[in-house]
Amino acid sequence: MEDLLLYALQVAEEAGAKYAEARYHSVELQGMSSRNGALISAYSELSEGIAIRVLVDGVLGFASTNNLSRDSIREVVQKAVARARTHRNAVKKPIELSEARLGRVKYSVNPVKKFSDIDVEEKISLHKLFWDSASNSVKEAKVPVATLSYTEWVEKKVVVNSDGAYVESSIPRISIYYNIVAHHPQKGYIQRLETLGASGGLEWLEKWNVVGAAADEARKLEEILLTAVEPPKDSVPVVVGSEIVALIVHESCGHPSEADRILGREAAQAGRSFIKPSMIGYRIGNENATVIDDPTIPGSYGYYLYDDEGVAARPRYLYKEGLINEFLHNRETAKIFGVESNAAARAMDYTSEPIVRMANTYLKPGDHRFEELLEDVKLGVYIKSYMEWNIDDERWSQRYVGLEAYLIEHGELTKLVRNPVLELTTKSFYSSIDAVGKELRFYAGTCGKGEPMQGVPVWFGGPDVRLKNIRLGVAI
Amino acid sequence: MKIDVDFIAKLVNELSKKGFDDVAVKAMITDTIMSKIANSEVSVVQNWKRVGVDLYLAKEKRIFVLRFEPKSLEELYKPVETLLTLSRKIEESSIYAPLPEPTKITYSEEVFDKGIHDGMDNIGKLAEMFIEVAHREKKIDSVAGMLQMSETETVLATSKGALLEERKTFLQSYLRAFAEPDGSGQWCFTSTFLDTKELETMAFIASRYAVESRNRSVIEPGVYDVILSPMVFGNLLEYIVSMASAYSVVMGWSMFMKNKPGDKVASEHLTVLDEPRNRELPNYRSFDDEALETFNKPIIENGILKTFLHNTKTARLLGASSTANAGWISPEPWNIVVRPGNTTLDEMISEIRRGILITNNWYTRLQNYVEGLFSTVARDAIFYIENGRIVKPVTKIRIADKLPNILNNIEMMEKELYKIQWWEVSTPSKIPFVLIRNINTSKHMI
Repeated sequence: MEDLLLYALQVAEEAGAKYAEARYHSVELQGMSSRNGALISAYSELSEGIAIRVLVDGVLGFASTNNLSRDSIREVVQKAVARARTHRNAVKKPIELSEARLGRVKYSVNPVKKFSDIDVEEKISLHKLFWDSASNSVKEAKVPVATLSYTEWVEKKVVVNSDGAYVESSIPRISIYYNIVAHHPQKGYIQRLETLGASGGLEWLEKWNVVGAAADEARKLEEILLTAVEPPKDSVPVVVGSEIVALIVHESCGHPSEADRILGREAAQAGRSFIKPSMIGYRIGNENATVIDDPTIPGSYGYYLYDDEGVAARPRYLYKEGLINEFLHNRETAKIFGVESNAAARAMDYTSEPIVRMANTYLKPGDHRFEELLEDVKLGVYIKSYMEWNIDDERWSQRYVGLEAYLIEHGELTKLVRNPVLELTTKSFYSSIDAVGKELRFYAGTCGKGEPMQGVPVWFGGPDVRLKNIRLGVAI
Repeated sequence: MKIDVDFIAKLVNELSKKGFDDVAVKAMITDTIMSKIANSEVSVVQNWKRVGVDLYLAKEKRIFVLRFEPKSLEELYKPVETLLTLSRKIEESSIYAPLPEPTKITYSEEVFDKGIHDGMDNIGKLAEMFIEVAHREKKIDSVAGMLQMSETETVLATSKGALLEERKTFLQSYLRAFAEPDGSGQWCFTSTFLDTKELETMAFIASRYAVESRNRSVIEPGVYDVILSPMVFGNLLEYIVSMASAYSVVMGWSMFMKNKPGDKVASEHLTVLDEPRNRELPNYRSFDDEALETFNKPIIENGILKTFLHNTKTARLLGASSTANAGWISPEPWNIVVRPGNTTLDEMISEIRRGILITNNWYTRLQNYVEGLFSTVARDAIFYIENGRIVKPVTKIRIADKLPNILNNIEMMEKELYKIQWWEVSTPSKIPFVLIRNINTSKHMI
């Protein structure tokens, strides 16, 4: 494979490219989906090909092909160079790449328990047990539908470029996606959608215990349907559960910190950023607001050690004690900002250009036990999990609708609360944190960005946090 | 660019001989070029030449769906032996139905536009053109967007004897314009033909909205009459039509779980059609993935749910007939078309005492698919309407309501339709402006 990639670089150079990069990228996955414990289908996907980027007359060209003959690669590279060249009049400021310390390395993730370590019958039985567990755990309500998808996949890459990088990697990943619907004739419907994901192998199935989770989820949905009350109307302290904190930091810190977005490169797609290029050092929150994005966390869904431009990864401190501290960069944006790339260039598959992405973004934990977050609260709300959410395209105004939520009365959780809405700005969230839990938990997601849309695996994480004086809304 | 049809037919035969009861193979070659624009210049030029092969295999009612973009077609044989072993271990699918017998396929005139084919090597000039057009409005500071042109060929073969072939070209584009201090506007265009006039119109609309939406005011959230642009209504309809897929209904992803065809689900003003035979829209096709001849059909007609979208599996499960919307597992809409009304945008505005016109949105999310509870963020140009006229541009707000309310409160439809497709409307659609009464809105208060 290395020969073919080097050949692509050579053709690009001969055609006049100032810089060239070639990436072999394969994604191979298997899985199965079920409804109410009965299998629907087994599925399998393989995408395998080469991606090529060239810099020609200051224009960035990208091409990909899954025909790996030398003739095809030559044709594709030459076309990419020629088509980039036709755009030179449409570029005002020629694109350049920053200097970077590039890797010459091979690395892989070795699962504790390989995908082949349990037989397919056991993977099938997971679906039945999940359904039995969900459907048998309710008393007055019914579970009309529970669906489950199980997927295991391996991503392999070889990245070379004309600046000397060679990075070969292999990362297995596993994911579960489920949907549980609960119904009560008088109380209506309620629904829980959940994604679990990590790098590694079947050891994650034991950690996740989805069969146990199904019972807990179904029981809780029934309880919410039957007993939940309205949230308080006045401003109260709100303890935001780590599941929501994790999503908030992804949406309101990770995304607006992407340097390409700050520069307007995604303005018509994922939007712009409230962060402007000059805002390093701007206060966005109080001293409790430290957000880190770290691709190197072992076992994480967004794990990598070198990015798709061959740059070594490291933790990135995006907000540090309330101040905007660092943006996420690839080599193109790093050049513009006069800094070194911090290795945020990722591509979904061989058809995708590497763009600035998050990996595993989390709020730094504090020193409070959960009980300590509650103990001084006379009347408040704890929102543990969410249903709907969204945020505007500058990543400022956001909304999270709670699923499992409780009244806090005199330091203790009491009644369930139905549909509380946390609708606030980025600054008001990070400025309102007055206590931070000590337990850091991570959640999995597929983050979308780019054109065409690229979905990449990420973790987002955080502890539980307490916000002071929040007026909650109620979803209709 | 050509798919080896003989190879595909041979592959179906060989897989059948190996013992699979149902085999379908869909091979696609696509050649695409895209200019992505930001800050009024090209940020990247992307080219793709992809060969993809999808396989559907069933043995003793066990179903396997495989998607390959392999480095060579011979690679396709590799997983088959594994699947035969696997088929002895996994269980029968709860939705299995045999592939249908082939029917006669009537092809419409081929949709292959030479303008797109030839334009692919000159896309830079077109990109320059629409940047220039947007900047004719002198107050525009920058534009972003993309222009994409594709040609694609599909071959479908099944073990029931179908061997079908279709090729087409299409174009997709959208543009977002910015005008200081806070104006922005976005519009899009999709077609099977290169139409530079329509691309110019797209650029004009985006830049006009950007200029008109400068110096925005804040409005309080509450209940408003709203006019949704085709971009916004197209986004909501995409969710609603996907819920009309019978697969969504059985999987708990649909507010139509409680309905059956014949139920009133919307205002009488609304008729929504699935139009695979619409030659103007990129998902035009003569046959579905089970080799059945496609046909145009109403999904909702004058407010009445006419049909769920079916393949043979969901049709058998729910006691219906296939609507030729396969998807081997999940039936999908092809092109969404809303029947036009008889009014104009100005007439709609004149009907509103207190309301808003929303030209674009994004980030639609549902709390609960079965109840249709959702919110979506209005973005770009939003205008406050009072006593029948636009008063001022306003800042972002959310629609936070129930999809059934959106459907039932539709009061007026514009007579003009717009061809829409972009990030938030992935299914090609022809949609008018619509007036909807009493919609709940929301925004941050802290």
